[in-house]
Amino acid sequence: MVANTKEVKDKDICVLRISPEEKRELSFKDEQCIGCGICEKICPVEAIELGDIGAIERTGVDESKISVDEEKCVLCGMCSSACPVDALELKLDEKSIKDMEEYPKLIKTAEISDEECIFCKACETACPREAITIARVLPDRSKLVTGEIEIDKDTCINCGVCEEMCPADAIEMEHHEPTSSDPTVSSDISVNKDKCVYCLICKKACPVDAIKAVCRSCSYGEYDLKPEDSEIKGSSFIDEDACVNCGWCEEICPVDAAKVKKAFEGELDIDLEKCEACGACVDICPCNVLSFPESTKPGEIVEKLKKDETFCIYCGACENVCPVEAIGVKRTDVDFTPTKSKSWKKQLESLKT
Amino acid sequence: MELKVDQDLCLGCGNCVVACPVNASISPEVYGGHGPKTEDVIMMVENGVIKLFNESKCTKCGTCPLFCPTDAIYLE
Repeated sequence: MVANTKEVKDKDICVLRISPEEKRELSFKDEQCIGCGICEKICPVEAIELGDIGAIERTGVDESKISVDEEKCVLCGMCSSACPVDALELKLDEKSIKDMEEYPKLIKTAEISDEECIFCKACETACPREAITIARVLPDRSKLVTGEIEIDKDTCINCGVCEEMCPADAIEMEHHEPTSSDPTVSSDISVNKDKCVYCLICKKACPVDAIKAVCRSCSYGEYDLKPEDSEIKGSSFIDEDACVNCGWCEEICPVDAAKVKKAFEGELDIDLEKCEACGACVDICPCNVLSFPESTKPGEIVEKLKKDETFCIYCGACENVCPVEAIGVKRTDVDFTPTKSKSWKKQLESLKT
Repeated sequence: MELKVDQDLCLGCGNCVVACPVNASISPEVYGGHGPKTEDVIMMVENGVIKLFNESKCTKCGTCPLFCPTDAIYLE
């Protein structure tokens, strides 16, 4: 039997076994780990131990969130199959078991349809893992409003009123100190037609009526604006390494473009009598489910802790970290791909509590 | 990982004593900012400095270091 070797780089762990028949490699990425401890629970040989995640997450202790005993580890890959955030991955001869049909894996997805998406960026802002990037190209402003504007430079007295009042910064003047050869305060005035929105404020404010301007939309309606000119184009991207399938994007999306499927169903119970409001759960929760309620008026006594279970993935990190056993996470369903192995099925089913 | 204190750094403010959720569950008056009424708690200020009484009760949640102004209490 070839012995396992372990490599630790920064906080990432790699357990390796190279035998003549095959190469087995279990890798752990600390940054992706949410401290749920599911790997510790599912490991059939008790090779994985969850660290003191409260202290690690909150005080920046330089430790990995889990430890793996390479002498106990049999490189079976159950932790890799059960990790809800893919922080653990077993590779057989460089191929991930997540890409092999024989191995079961948790059924969880997060998708944003670029067809439906209006690129409002609400999901990007709401995502607790900063996993979403929305790239958008805005329409050309000058195509959305048309008109005509002209400044009669002979009448203009270079007072700068229009430049100061223009809300679009479209009027540009060449200011200078007057000299005997050029006794003016500005050598030129021009309108940047890409910026001008034809609001006509300059025309109305000009003290010498030097500006002639007309807005075509106001005069003739919007008939000459092409719908394609106002189209917002873009694309969405979800970083699968960072995404925990919490469902914030789906919930906040105004056009139902985001769809999330969670691997676990369950219940999150908080015992407010026991809770001492230390905030460890609030800090560890990867999904921003837990928060401290804010009082709305002086003297108002609010609850110690608030939950929004819509976004809970029932990972159990909060339960692990709670120092006074005030939190209970029940998993009533675990959704995974079919497997012929009864022992794997049994082990994955055991995550139900 | 262990809970440790550096008494030379401690100002005796007692922030850790009242912030500790385990202390509060053992001696509820600390939740309101009072001193604990029993030595069953994890830590207490004695003679002006912090002293650990029952470090084995610590669950390493990381709350006390967040409130200590001088890093006199820490997890290592």
